[in-house]
Amino acid sequence: MAQAFPKKPSQPTNAAIVVYTEDTFATRSYLPAIATGLATSMQHFFENAREMIRGQRPDPITEPFAEGITTVSYPEQKRHYPERFRGVHRLTQRDDGSPRCVACLCCSTACPAQCIFIEPGEYAEGDKRRGYERFPVRFVIDELRCIFCGFCVEACPCDAIRMDTGAHAAPYDSREQFIYDKDTLLSFANRAGEQLSENPRHEPGDASHPGLSRDNVH
Amino acid sequence: MPTFKLDGKDIPFSPGETIIGAAHKEGIEIPHYCWHPGLSIAANCRMCLVEVMPAANQRAMMLDILEWDAASGEYKPQRKPKLQPACQMAAVEGMDVRADSSEHVKQARKGVQEFLLLNHPVDCPICDQAGECKLQDYWLEHGQYEKRMRDEPVHKPKATVFGETIVYDAERCVMCTRCIRFMDEVAKDPVLDMRERGNLKEVIVAPGRQLEGHYTLMTEHVCPVGALTSKDFRFKARVWFLRAAKSVCQGCATGCNAWLDFDPRYNKAYRYRPRDNEQVNKYWMCDEGMLSYAAAHEARVLEASVKGVASTPAHALEGAAKRLASVPQSSIAVVLSAQHSLEDNWAMLELSKLLGAKDVFYTQAADGYEDEILINKDKNSNGRGVRDLSPSAKPFGDLAKSVAAGSIKHVVALGGATPSGDRDAATLGKLDVLITIAAHTSSLTASASVVLPATSWAEHSGTWVNASGLRQVADKAIAPQGASEPAYKLVADLARALGLEVSWTKLKEIRAALGASDPAPDVRSTTLTQAV
Repeated sequence: MAQAFPKKPSQPTNAAIVVYTEDTFATRSYLPAIATGLATSMQHFFENAREMIRGQRPDPITEPFAEGITTVSYPEQKRHYPERFRGVHRLTQRDDGSPRCVACLCCSTACPAQCIFIEPGEYAEGDKRRGYERFPVRFVIDELRCIFCGFCVEACPCDAIRMDTGAHAAPYDSREQFIYDKDTLLSFANRAGEQLSENPRHEPGDASHPGLSRDNVH
Repeated sequence: MPTFKLDGKDIPFSPGETIIGAAHKEGIEIPHYCWHPGLSIAANCRMCLVEVMPAANQRAMMLDILEWDAASGEYKPQRKPKLQPACQMAAVEGMDVRADSSEHVKQARKGVQEFLLLNHPVDCPICDQAGECKLQDYWLEHGQYEKRMRDEPVHKPKATVFGETIVYDAERCVMCTRCIRFMDEVAKDPVLDMRERGNLKEVIVAPGRQLEGHYTLMTEHVCPVGALTSKDFRFKARVWFLRAAKSVCQGCATGCNAWLDFDPRYNKAYRYRPRDNEQVNKYWMCDEGMLSYAAAHEARVLEASVKGVASTPAHALEGAAKRLASVPQSSIAVVLSAQHSLEDNWAMLELSKLLGAKDVFYTQAADGYEDEILINKDKNSNGRGVRDLSPSAKPFGDLAKSVAAGSIKHVVALGGATPSGDRDAATLGKLDVLITIAAHTSSLTASASVVLPATSWAEHSGTWVNASGLRQVADKAIAPQGASEPAYKLVADLARALGLEVSWTKLKEIRAALGASDPAPDVRSTTLTQAV
């Protein structure tokens, strides 16, 4: 009767042939292998103990290139994230603390995960921004749905949303805590602790507004 | 039919028709802002300029111009043909018109686009028109230049409130005068006009007045750019998130054709837009109608209830069957509804036949405002349909009398407004059993012993017969909300619960039966309603 399993490969493969250790008394007793394993463990133990006593930490830059695996004692110790790492979103602020966001929904349009919800609102009668801008009444990001692609940042015409907080989404114990609302997003800062953006903001009516003065409204 | 050539293609036209009008009927769009098939000709935007080739043995009308020559660094005298506005130029037999195929026309379109955008704020991200704006569309098709003007644009009033419904932004306006012409010609209320000249022009409301009346929202709809925005839709949604379903307005018996725009992500209807139909509403809708999309979510019956207590549909059906079990079936009165589709009413009428019911009534809302333009005083979307379907059905007043006299004790009804609201609720309260299948709350649901939740017109496909007897199909837009199901299905479920055998399960079967049984001459159905 033909053998059903394992199937013989119809084509010769280029997989490496496994060579098993010769079955001798030494291997059967397992003693040399145990000794080798213990030696490796003890080597790491003494290395770690030495680093702990001396207060040494692995260099975050060269660590990925170092041989073997280094243990990062998270959260006391954190991995270095590159400068353009896309972390948790933040909403940048204007000088007066209000969001730069004008609730255009470009970010939620670009978002492939559909994790951004915005409810736009109109400035009150008499506000100098009325007619020129709108503002987000609600701005909600579901950080669980987010895939951290950064399209929202690319799409934003106002530099209002950024992912430069340098923080990854923190683990929480309930789903609701991953739903970041406007105030939460506004409270985050970038790695330098700034809540504004490097790009200057030109308010309608400001002298810095490029070529715009609203004086000649007739 | 005489024809002329547009870019080498033969276009038929009726005498007196304009080039753009004939092309529009053939499905060819010549770019335009100010022209609208339902309004008079203004020819002020200059976007529709076309080149009309001279007839045999005639010279072309040429213009002497100076053109910048980059090579020599100076202006050189040139001659180019004088272009004609396609919206004003009447078509002539054998005329040779060049639009897309003429370099001069392409140059003119680009020039007009640049001119219209000179003082435009380019605030597309916060403009509600973005996504359906002709300035955007034509810029992509014919513009694609970088802004050359380095001067400060002219500033004009923004977010000016025109009335209860409309907000105006003069900076976005291209002064096509469509809104002004609409108010003059269609709404017959010349309340809008322009003031100033050139780039200081702006649209204003007549002093001491507001933009008011029954047709204000249409000014927003005819606006080709984002200058006029409706307060109702303003900032609510971006149009690219919306999907449109062919619908029929439920506001009155006119049955205006409309697009029901909804967001499938939130299962929410956002607005109505008129759907062109020469036979019914042409290009227009009234304010009440355009805002009536909200009925898809407001005052809805979303769960079954027994004696006012929420329950599951199965439990409610059981309760209904139990209440009617000891009653002779022929004594149960059946109430049709002028606010439910023809299919729902047909199912209800079948139920009355199965029950052997002696009494069939129909409920309808009281008459209201009417005008000469679109609004019908009959505020029911399917009054004609119900009366045609069951000519012997008696109006709601007769039912109220019989109930008050105590001769009718058990009623199965389709929901919908009753002629006199609360008074009817008190009358209906005298019934022993009232089983109502309803999409919206009314006096019929307020005094009902069992309520079964039906889908509204937005949630299932239905046929509606307007005042002139035209059958129109409204398509399904959003998914059924809550526990609601199409009323014809609920009627079938109820009949089965009462131990009757029903012949229908699908909409298709009902439509087939309706087509066969309907004696009305207007079985022209959907083909007419799918215009433009």
